[in-house]
Amino acid sequence: MSDGPLIVQSDKTLLLDIDHPLSTECRRAIAPFAELERAPEHMHTYRLTNLGLWNARAAGHDAEMVIDTLIKYSRYAVPHALLIDVAEQMSRYGRLRLEADPVHGLILVTTDTAVLEEVIRAKKIAPLLGARIDAETVAVHPSQRGAIKQSLLRLGWPAEDFAGYVDGQAHEISLKQNGWKIREYQEHAAEGFWHGGSGVVVLPCGAGKTIVGAAAMAHAKATTLILVTNTVAARQWRDELLKRTSLNEDEIGEYSGSKKEIRPVTIATYQVMTKKKNGVYAHLDLFDSHDWGLIIYDEVHLLPAPIFRFTADIQSRRRLGLTATLVREDGMEGEVFSLIGPKRFDVPWKEIEAQGYIAPAECIEVRVNLTEAERLAYATAEPEERYRYCATTRTKRDVVQELVSLHAQEQILVIGQYLDQLDDLGETLGSPVIQGSTPQKEREELFQSFRTGEISCLVVSKVANFSIDLPEATIAIQVSGAFGSRQEEAQRLGRVLRPKADGRGARFYSVVSRDTIDQDFAQNRQRFLAEQGYSYRIIDADDVFQGKI
Amino acid sequence: MEIRSYADYLRSLSDDALIALFEARPELTSPVPADIATLAVRASSVPSLVRAVDSLNKWQLQVLEAAAVLPEPFSEKEIISATDKAAKFVISSLVDRALIYGANDGYRLPTNLREILGNEIAGLGPASPKKLKLKDLASAPAAAQKNLDAMTWGPPRGTVSDVKKPTPGLAWLLENGFVSPVNQQTVVLHREAALHLRGGKVHRTLFITPPEISVREVSPKVNQQAAISNITTFLRWTEEVLNFWAQQPASALKAGGLGVRDLRDLALHLGVEEVCAAFIAEVAYLAGLLAIDPDDRILPTQLFDTWLSQPSSIKWQNLVAPWLITSRMSGLVGRDGSKSVTPLGPELDRSSSATIRRATIEVLQANPGGAPSLESVTATVQWNLPYRRTGGVPAEYIEWTLREAEWLGLTGHGAISTYGLELLEGGDLASVDKDLPATVDHILIQSDNTAIAPGPLEHEIAQELDIIADIESRGAATVFRFTEASLRRGLDHGRTGEEILAFLKKASKTPVPQPLEYLIGDISRKHGKLRVGNTSSFIRCEDSALITQILKDKKVELLNLRRIAPEVLISSLEATDAISILKSAGYLPAAEDSKGLLLSGPRIQRATSKARPPRIIGEFEKLEREVLELAVRTIRTGEKSSAQQSTLRNLSRDALGSLPRNTASETLQILVKHLRETPNKSLSIGYADNNGLVSHRIIDPIQIAAGMLQAKDHASGEVFTFTIARITGVATL
Repeated sequence: MSDGPLIVQSDKTLLLDIDHPLSTECRRAIAPFAELERAPEHMHTYRLTNLGLWNARAAGHDAEMVIDTLIKYSRYAVPHALLIDVAEQMSRYGRLRLEADPVHGLILVTTDTAVLEEVIRAKKIAPLLGARIDAETVAVHPSQRGAIKQSLLRLGWPAEDFAGYVDGQAHEISLKQNGWKIREYQEHAAEGFWHGGSGVVVLPCGAGKTIVGAAAMAHAKATTLILVTNTVAARQWRDELLKRTSLNEDEIGEYSGSKKEIRPVTIATYQVMTKKKNGVYAHLDLFDSHDWGLIIYDEVHLLPAPIFRFTADIQSRRRLGLTATLVREDGMEGEVFSLIGPKRFDVPWKEIEAQGYIAPAECIEVRVNLTEAERLAYATAEPEERYRYCATTRTKRDVVQELVSLHAQEQILVIGQYLDQLDDLGETLGSPVIQGSTPQKEREELFQSFRTGEISCLVVSKVANFSIDLPEATIAIQVSGAFGSRQEEAQRLGRVLRPKADGRGARFYSVVSRDTIDQDFAQNRQRFLAEQGYSYRIIDADDVFQGKI
Repeated sequence: MEIRSYADYLRSLSDDALIALFEARPELTSPVPADIATLAVRASSVPSLVRAVDSLNKWQLQVLEAAAVLPEPFSEKEIISATDKAAKFVISSLVDRALIYGANDGYRLPTNLREILGNEIAGLGPASPKKLKLKDLASAPAAAQKNLDAMTWGPPRGTVSDVKKPTPGLAWLLENGFVSPVNQQTVVLHREAALHLRGGKVHRTLFITPPEISVREVSPKVNQQAAISNITTFLRWTEEVLNFWAQQPASALKAGGLGVRDLRDLALHLGVEEVCAAFIAEVAYLAGLLAIDPDDRILPTQLFDTWLSQPSSIKWQNLVAPWLITSRMSGLVGRDGSKSVTPLGPELDRSSSATIRRATIEVLQANPGGAPSLESVTATVQWNLPYRRTGGVPAEYIEWTLREAEWLGLTGHGAISTYGLELLEGGDLASVDKDLPATVDHILIQSDNTAIAPGPLEHEIAQELDIIADIESRGAATVFRFTEASLRRGLDHGRTGEEILAFLKKASKTPVPQPLEYLIGDISRKHGKLRVGNTSSFIRCEDSALITQILKDKKVELLNLRRIAPEVLISSLEATDAISILKSAGYLPAAEDSKGLLLSGPRIQRATSKARPPRIIGEFEKLEREVLELAVRTIRTGEKSSAQQSTLRNLSRDALGSLPRNTASETLQILVKHLRETPNKSLSIGYADNNGLVSHRIIDPIQIAAGMLQAKDHASGEVFTFTIARITGVATL
């Protein structure tokens, strides 16, 4: 029996023993086809999914390599059925190809006529097809390039897209590496994308996805549409592009609720794109307003459903997706795969941390005992009010105050969900509060003075969940959250993961009321952290007051 | 010895030949026939012949068919000329099976055998009633030739528009007697003519050798790895099925068997296809690991507990062995349109299953180191078992057998595994225990509240973890997850927080993460604030003074009372008993409806009935040599006694006529004289029964007393008391 680091389970999960001498080698070997699901301290869990296997095929790996890798590193005999399944799933990718044809425009070509016969008989596919050209070929309506890819994926016969891309309107863009240098993995990511044509680059928060976008633009040298989650993110993209590339302010436009500029490089928000006027999407024309050579989707895992629909219509344009995770809470991973493209690049979070590009973080849960009166009030509260009550108890305020004073020398973010609680905290701590209603101008001023160190503590609402860049925050204190959202936890942790100038480790505190649903939600959120490899510990509020942290 | 009949032939066989016959046709010995005549009847009975014919391979069957179309008696030479030289070797095997026997004048077939082979054996019509001039066939007119061509190789019947208005070709054939009308529209070609046209051969193609087997090479390493993984997986599946049903017993349908929904749940639980789940359940059933209780619940048996404690090799053997011999075909479950065919149900028996399974596995055994293709296995099995009245061995049975052999780990990647060979040949299975992943005695606990057993876990640890954690992933390793609910379940099972923590600290190779310690602490702190217990009856009264009085009353000590609240007492006695005791002590209790009082049963349940694995139908075990020898001895003894009896019977018929008719007093005199002078000689007597019918007996007189004669009757061999008055005549022998 071999003594490998990997245990292949029959339910298609792979368990990787981190303490094994071959674990690093094995992790590299399985990364192309297996999705990392959890990375706690001893055993990492990967999962084999159809999409993952197809991603590997798209990246040029074949079933034999996958099977060899599994057998090579496996500690026990690999379930035979699983190997057969892997080979079968992988062989499904590439049997159908979309190609450009000088006569018929877009065609669907197969190497296996039986498969073609099967798919052209499918109800969802038939209307998308044109005339049958020969036994292996059928014409496809050019406008249906995206739709057919979606439908084929659902049938389990993903098509490889070789139909090529339009170059778009040329526009000179290059990287301006003065005083900074593109990191090796960022360069690999951009190249991986460019060779694949379209696809998704997966990088953890803080790993510099913007730079990857900029590098991709430098490859394309064409007009670019960038879709981002919100206005703050749009401004950051603009600032980054100005700093890192040869683009100047006139070349970059913002297309948002407040501004409607269309320039060679246009940054639009998801919100404005999905805004309806009299029942129709009013800003769709943006996609056609320029002969875009590249479309960048920031935070693909948050991409709203309508955007997918538009994306299906622009399959001949190069598309780059950027995200920290391929996992979507709505389960639309298949849409990302078929419409934006397969995964082109991926580096595990911990690996980048090890390279020093992300700050290591320590997670601490502070348990607060409610007073007798508070417990009684909690017990009698209406069910829908309970979380709010226990998340905003007065006792928490004292603990937060103590924590802030213990870290007086550092840059601190206090993050919460409920505005009255935040206002109250702001008053107690004497710190400014940033919330949804804070004007953009004021926000940016506050962020700026936080960056420079003029202000050492900011109280922020969930606006902080999205990509704001606060390089010097080393301490985050979470007082309340959106119930048990794991994604939110990840985003908030991301706030303190940016590398610090002095290489200091970050701290992430969660203040939680003992024996309430606050504690249950906290547990759910922390599971995510533990799965990412951040072990956390629990301390009592009393320990804080005694300075034992 | 003159051989005039089948029985005579059998009588002429040596002991070894009889044993060979019994080995080839084991059903002849169940029960052991009394004598050769009985054996002959049985061996030439339709059911027995059908079995014997079914056991022939395609080539043997062809030779037998050739023999069956030859006029009796026939010679070896005739068979060979009708088939092939190779038939020589096959004839002896047919003789061994007593399907052909040698009489004085040549070979013959037992009666009934032709009937079994069909009306038109090898596509040949009936023999002609009159002698045919076969040479004329060569000069048949072209039209007749065309008709002959159509019928030569069968079927021998042809449809015509009207026999009375034949076409010229047909008219010629009818005229020369080569063809006879069957009815208005049908004619039949006579056997002699067809054989002549076939050039004296019975079959167009002879299948003398089994088909080639095409084999896909499987490297020994891959083969072994796959087999290990299959065996491990199957053992795990079996354990999981039974544990699953121990917790939530499935219910058998009214018609018997497992319902569609339960099967689906099971498949979902195991993460396998339904056909596979059905197979696992069936194997557990065959092995006696589960039983259907009288209340229709499907539960693991006590045997399961024994099974669990055994080493893997024995566990595996206990599962495979019953599968090899069962007549049940679990592959039938869920086939299109067979909704009533359910796992564990009564509809799965197919009489040929075990034979087909054995034949299939023999092909695998004969090809170690490679995976024979399904097509070639099917062709080979169909060659080996050609004659099934249902029209050959269904190809899917073979496919299922191969599939099941793979699930069980008899094969690995389609090729027979070394373990499979050992098991089939009754060898040593220690290698299974050695090669299967060794059990691990520790877990790794991680801060995301999971525990991973990096290999098959020791039974005790697994069982304990099963109580306090949920299983998240199964396979060679197991991933457990601790949740509030799972830990609470542990506390419900009587563990304390400290015990759980101590267990985890002991079992885990890694330190228990602090958050998990907190979780266990939190839950055990909250657990048990509400108390629930079992009690048989309660006594409550709003007057707590009365409660105190009862508690202190010596007359009701028997109730074993405990005060759980100022106004409530509980007793371990049933309510009815408690009431009667209270009444006899002078109290006036009233019974209260006990609705809503929930007694929770044990979580893990076992069937109350004994394991009753399904009966195997339609198959006979291969018997041991000793058993067969015993059978032969029994027949020989029976034969001797029945031969003796029949001699006596013949004797008596003649003797009765020649017996004198004596009066009672004469008889008495003769008897007395006989006893005195020649007491050791036998006597021949006529004896009238209650109805006055006289029968002849041969007796050895013993004594005379009170008008009765005590004597040993030769026919029955027993001592019998004869009334002297009824003896019609006496003669010495």
